[in-house]
Amino acid sequence: MVVESTPGFETQDLLINVGPQHPSTHGVFRMVLEVDGEIVKDLVPHIGYLHRGAEKLCENNDFRQGVGYMDRTEYLASHNAELSYVMAVEALAELEVPERAQWIRMILCELNRLSSHFMFLGAFGVDVGVFGTPFIYAWREREAIIDLFEEISGDRMMYAYFRAGGLAWEVPGNFEERVREVLVSTRQGMKDFDNLLTRNEIFLARTKNVGIISAEDAVELGMSGPTLRASGVSLDIRKAEPYMYYDQIDFDVPVGTNGDVFDRYLVRLKEMEQSVHIIEQCLARLDDGPIMPERMPRMLRLPEDQEIYVRTEAPRGEYGIYLVSKGGNKPWRLKVRSACLSNLQALKKMSVGQYVADAIIILGSIDIVLSEVDR
Amino acid sequence: MTSDENVNSTNEEETSEVEVVDSLEDTIWPLINRVLSSVDVTPERGSIDLITRIPRTDIIRALQILKNNEEVQFNYLRCLTAVDNESEGVDVVYHLYSIPKNINLTVKTNLPVEDKAIGTATEVWEAANWLERETAEMFGIKFNNHPDPRTLLMPEDMTDTFPLLKSHPFAEIEILQGELLGYDRETQGDDE
Repeated sequence: MVVESTPGFETQDLLINVGPQHPSTHGVFRMVLEVDGEIVKDLVPHIGYLHRGAEKLCENNDFRQGVGYMDRTEYLASHNAELSYVMAVEALAELEVPERAQWIRMILCELNRLSSHFMFLGAFGVDVGVFGTPFIYAWREREAIIDLFEEISGDRMMYAYFRAGGLAWEVPGNFEERVREVLVSTRQGMKDFDNLLTRNEIFLARTKNVGIISAEDAVELGMSGPTLRASGVSLDIRKAEPYMYYDQIDFDVPVGTNGDVFDRYLVRLKEMEQSVHIIEQCLARLDDGPIMPERMPRMLRLPEDQEIYVRTEAPRGEYGIYLVSKGGNKPWRLKVRSACLSNLQALKKMSVGQYVADAIIILGSIDIVLSEVDR
Repeated sequence: MTSDENVNSTNEEETSEVEVVDSLEDTIWPLINRVLSSVDVTPERGSIDLITRIPRTDIIRALQILKNNEEVQFNYLRCLTAVDNESEGVDVVYHLYSIPKNINLTVKTNLPVEDKAIGTATEVWEAANWLERETAEMFGIKFNNHPDPRTLLMPEDMTDTFPLLKSHPFAEIEILQGELLGYDRETQGDDE
């Protein structure tokens, strides 16, 4: 039976406010959805609820203190955030980082990528509706990595372990052994997720062909990291412009094909396998040696009128530091290029025309950290 | 990090002119100079990326050329921000990257203090949208014809004070905001 529309009967679009306090917005993110029935017609994101002025704070503190603020911009991958910052200071101060410090940094950054992606897998599972199990699985594996970080730096988050020039102190004696232990549990965790989600029909039905973004649009919008690679653009800064010793390491860059939510999930899962592979190679190359340069100035002063833009591949994409020095012991200007901010710009394009329920998992698939977006 | 793009620059004005031009030959400067032949462009230096200066009247046209030219294809806007140089005005800085060619370029343009207005790069890359909104509210720069000129991180009504300018106080931000929101310091007392 065909239902004829009643003459003179008009429907009105409904505005729904989601957030800033809402469990599925992954922090203090607010979006206003305009819906026609179940379909999203427009989406207006509002950010800035977590703005702390990290850039201004860094301009008023000396170079050593900046490390702590970087931790807080990207609290799920603090090591990666610190790395960009210390690399920028080292490049301008012309500090030579010892080999051992570099290898340890690489191990920690890749471990941090693992812990961050576990966080994504757990939270994303909850978004999709596989309540409980993936979240607890993810937490168990992430806990092992965070325990290791705590043994090294003394903190479970905000490690402040990297220093311009090297590392704050030597890693514990059983470091290699402990990393290998963590890798065993990480491998098992990845397998569990693969079994639990990748071929799960309900999961596939919810994520396949949802929130598609094309490669051209992704590049145009300045997206980066796994969210960009899921659309089929093979841009990984570790490969394109190798920093530290990534050019001596063998690894692949997993790339998606459809640019949908499922690809963004799968690219991250595959990326984790590569991280484990990288860490194993780093462990084999790890040698004894100093962790700070021999001739380290007591006070860091950068030369006048110098600037640098350092970018590294953090778990969420390109984490860039634009550092301008005009002499003295403070940065003149420090800009944090946030991967999440640029990725979040694409949310509207991904969500319009999709179901309301899918808008939540699309947001989850971008894997935002609001403290990095707002800084 | 590509060390061959490294340029040793000295602080001495007279000698640096010659040196920079010499070592710029190793960078992508000859290529950029050819591509942007119709624009007034000056190289500055490159510590890892080449930095060029373009006057603000030409900036959007130059960015269009850089994006669409087959030889360079700067299709990816890494970062857009500004630097406050106090009396020397504000520099708007564009960090460009070409995914097909794997080359980087930093483009700078100077805005005088009294007239901080510039064309919008959203015409070139959509990525510039939020980055320009942030730069506008932090530095008081007007991006002409911006499609969505609202504040991004700051409160909606905070459009007359610009936190990242050097003239903006560091520790009095709350008070400035409070006055905007109707907070009266006289009646509330100074007990803090």
